[in-house]
Amino acid sequence: MIDRYSRQIIFPGIGEEGQRKLGDGCVVIIGCGALGTIIATSLVRAGVGKVRIIDRDFIEYHNLQRQVLFDEDDILNGLPKAIAAERHLKRVNSSVEIEGIVADVNYTNIERFVRGADIILDGLDNFETRLLINDVSLKHKIPWVYGGAISSFGMTMTIIPGETPCFRCFSPASTGRGTVLTCDTAGVISPIPFIIGSLQTAEAIKILVGAGELNRQLICIDVWTGSFDRLETAPRHDCPACQGTYEFLDGRFGVRATSLCGQNSVQVLNPKIERLSFKELEAHLKMVGKVTYNEFMLHFDVDGREMVIFPDGRAIVKNTTDESLARGLYAKYIGT
Amino acid sequence: MIEIRLYATLGRYRPELKVGEPLFLNLDQGTTVKRVLQEVLGIPTEVVKTVFVNGIYRELDHVLADGDRVGIFPPVAGG
Repeated sequence: MIDRYSRQIIFPGIGEEGQRKLGDGCVVIIGCGALGTIIATSLVRAGVGKVRIIDRDFIEYHNLQRQVLFDEDDILNGLPKAIAAERHLKRVNSSVEIEGIVADVNYTNIERFVRGADIILDGLDNFETRLLINDVSLKHKIPWVYGGAISSFGMTMTIIPGETPCFRCFSPASTGRGTVLTCDTAGVISPIPFIIGSLQTAEAIKILVGAGELNRQLICIDVWTGSFDRLETAPRHDCPACQGTYEFLDGRFGVRATSLCGQNSVQVLNPKIERLSFKELEAHLKMVGKVTYNEFMLHFDVDGREMVIFPDGRAIVKNTTDESLARGLYAKYIGT
Repeated sequence: MIEIRLYATLGRYRPELKVGEPLFLNLDQGTTVKRVLQEVLGIPTEVVKTVFVNGIYRELDHVLADGDRVGIFPPVAGG
């Protein structure tokens, strides 16, 4: 065993046997923002054998405040997050097989991406793909670790198929309510994704090594108020995912983006939203762009992009035919 | 009496509560989660994602009972 792992081999919870197991492990990190970069760098440094990182975004300056793997050169070189992460991490630990994949994870491709994974780590910025991870985790019996962080607040929980409540037990597909808080609308300070990402990393190490106590409760932390809570959750008796019905993996739910022929626009439909509150949405969006609305539609201009949003959650993203970009903007500003 | 804890950004609806301090309420029989949110706490349902009652996810029409522990969360999507 090479010397670089000596300090964690001395740690009795891991030892030489645990280090071998880490080396044999395969993790899939979906989403490479603040959480994803913390998780990826920690697991590559820990010597996990295979690390697959999937993300659909490019790096922007406002990412650098908290996304620890990226730098200004990555932006100047126009690198996607998954590729920049792969390049940086290969210089950190050349013995790890690192695969950066630039892709929009959805129900048509997620099963391919998680093939061979011992654990899935959530570095996402939206609920929809988390519900998709939940489905694929339960179907293929792969543990996953949920993590979410906005503002100064974060949550995490480890989901072991068949043993713990699943994510859908407490995050149903449709609440009929809108206005999801995202980092782009509520802001975020770096300590909270660092803490949540570190807790997720610890769970991954424990699962791969097969030792330690897993976190089966919902951990809630607010670094601004200094509150640390644990919430015991229970399975929901009518949870479809727990009963083997994988509605997100079957493509029955989820955001759909369709390029509008000849209009240089993409329409985004979100069946999870029944009714949006323009008043609430305006309160979040006016922090980052220009917002005007009436009872029929809300206009939002941000970073040279224009979106028109309707009360049923439908949105038109103007001046693009890129459906993936439109889905990304929707997740960022309206939330899924 | 029921115990209510507001998480993350929802704390702004009860700024007088100290960190980690729950709110204790005496409610009429038959009071729903929705009524507590709208009439007692003044929290719009649009900003609430998840309500746990004794650790179990509940819909807004769930009727609360004496001794319940309620946790109310906004949607935390970021990462």
